[in-house]
Amino acid sequence: MAKSLIEINNLVKVYGQEVKNKVLHSISLEIEKGEFVAIVGPSGSGKSTFLNLLGALDQATEGEIWINNQLISDLDDLELAKFRNQNLGFVFQFHHLLPEFTAKENVMIPDWIEYGAPTVDKKERAQKLLELVGLSDVTDKLITKLSGGQKQRVALARALMNKSPILLADEPTGNLDTATTEKIYNLLRDINQQLGTTFIIVTHNQDIAAKTDRIIRLVDGQIESDKVIEK
Amino acid sequence: MWFEFKMAWRFLMSGKTQTLLILLGIIVGVTVQVFLGFLIQGLQQDLINQTVGTAPHVFILPEANAPRMLTEEESSYSRTITFSGKQTGLSRWRKLSSDVEEIDDVTAVSPTIVGSGFAFRGQKSLSTVMRGINFEQADNIYNIKENLLNTQTADLGGNNILIGSSLAQELELSPGDSLKLRTADGVTDSFFIAGIFDLGNKELNSSWVLMGLNRAATFLDMPNKISNIELQISDVFKSNQIASQIRRNNPRVKVESWQENNQQLLTALESQSSSSLVIQVFVMIAVTLGISSVLAVSVVQKSRQIGILKAMGTNRRRVGIIFLIQGAILGLTGALIGSMGGIGLSKLFVNVVRDETGSPLFPITINLNFILISIAVATLAGMIAALIPARNSAKLNPVEVIRNG
Ligand SMILES: Nc1ncnc2c1ncn2[C@@H]1O[C@H](COP(=O)(O)OP(=O)(O)OP(=O)(O)O)[C@@H](O)[C@H]1O
Ligand SMILES: [Mg+2]
Repeated sequence: MAKSLIEINNLVKVYGQEVKNKVLHSISLEIEKGEFVAIVGPSGSGKSTFLNLLGALDQATEGEIWINNQLISDLDDLELAKFRNQNLGFVFQFHHLLPEFTAKENVMIPDWIEYGAPTVDKKERAQKLLELVGLSDVTDKLITKLSGGQKQRVALARALMNKSPILLADEPTGNLDTATTEKIYNLLRDINQQLGTTFIIVTHNQDIAAKTDRIIRLVDGQIESDKVIEK
Repeated sequence: MWFEFKMAWRFLMSGKTQTLLILLGIIVGVTVQVFLGFLIQGLQQDLINQTVGTAPHVFILPEANAPRMLTEEESSYSRTITFSGKQTGLSRWRKLSSDVEEIDDVTAVSPTIVGSGFAFRGQKSLSTVMRGINFEQADNIYNIKENLLNTQTADLGGNNILIGSSLAQELELSPGDSLKLRTADGVTDSFFIAGIFDLGNKELNSSWVLMGLNRAATFLDMPNKISNIELQISDVFKSNQIASQIRRNNPRVKVESWQENNQQLLTALESQSSSSLVIQVFVMIAVTLGISSVLAVSVVQKSRQIGILKAMGTNRRRVGIIFLIQGAILGLTGALIGSMGGIGLSKLFVNVVRDETGSPLFPITINLNFILISIAVATLAGMIAALIPARNSAKLNPVEVIRNG
């Protein structure tokens, strides 16, 4: 049976050993290739938890995640690392860049991991991505010298570096002003349309969510609604 | 590996103070270790040089040198046995000495006739050791030519002799003088002093009288035999091996090695070596623990970075390697600088610490192999030190660090 790009069956996540905290209650959904999905919901509803499971950063208590017909829990550490590097781009809620490196180096890290010393092409690509997110003037600055909004955009450029088919982003524009947020979303939309990249983005921004293809609303670890936006 | 190196290097560079401090620790450790090694090696080399540098390493002697009984007189009170003082001697020594010369490691062969006697001048008489030698051959062992005091020639033809500087001083002799010698058998003759040597050894300087082998043969009445053959070999610690080789091929002679004759010295040297090794090992353990604790701290400090790298597709093994490389870089750099420190300290020691005469206590030679081994050991220690931190880093769960800002 041909599956969707992403298929999630009865996903459950329980935190804690003695005091159990069930954060996700049996979530099932499918996401097709090229979809631009927004995940919304109140704070603490389990959005980040869900995204971490989807990105194979954490293990589900129960349930299955299939990506590209691959059951994620079947992969060992080596395979999983390679799988992440090749299939998933991440933008974390707290951007998480390496402070020892410059903006451009941070953008190139996903490429370094897989291919080692970068080619001229790759350096140009990193430069180009930084220009796209409006950071052409800070490419060689250390991360510690950048503002919160700048860091967030570096993290976004990094997630785009390896042209991963799936991009997971946890509030990628949380710290940005409306104009920049708008610009970034247009950029992501362009990439989504040109390369067929699948986007799954957690956001609190209703305007942005409204511009996506589909809004999944999580409340208390359950899908309260799953709406496809009519265009 | 490029990626792992890049990360390791940048992680080290980002905590400069910490990196420099641990590096300093390694440098001090390796400096001490290398210096101590050289010091002990130099000391031992010097001791061995003094013992065997200008002395034979292997002796070939006649099988049994027991005195032979000549007469036995018996009275009612006592029994008197007269023994011959004469040595048995090595016969067929020419073939024997040319045979041993063929052995690869043998660097010098000197057939020698030895006899005791007295030197007279005026009222004074001193006991001497008379040695008949072939000058060139003996010179290879004893460096006589270099140590002649006031003559250039060392001609042992005819009645020419060379005597030790203390003997010359005691009897107020100088080159050109003549000297009367008497053997234990009572033969007396007059000799011509061709030169005076100082071999740096009190006993030799005060007793040795060197003469030509042929002259000694007649003077000491050893017409067809010699007392022994003295050998030097290239590796002094092969003396036992060479001795038994000669023994095997010549069952009718006695062969002694300096190693057999200096057991006590060698045991002392050995225990010195092992205690020095123990100290070196402990220094390296301290260095290893130092590297290990710094890297353990570093893993904690860098846990966020490690989590991010994992989330982006760095597998556990590679994360571990990043820390192994850091350990290796620390160990290698520390060892390179430390071994230079050790060399520097050794040179300083040779130049500063001197005996009363102002010359260095003993020479220290810079042993490249030892340096290379030290560097390899320190690098390895760095990597071993990194093993536990590397394992901890590999175990780190990315969500743990990614959840929080
Ligand atoms: N590692 C953990 N251990 C225990 N509880 C956790 C852990 N991670 C998250 N939780 C809990 O799970 C719940 C969901 O957290 P999650 O971070 O997924 O929410 P969220 O929807 O992303 O919220 P926000 O919008 O504030 O980012 C919260 O109650 C949180 O306290
Ligand atoms: Mg969250």
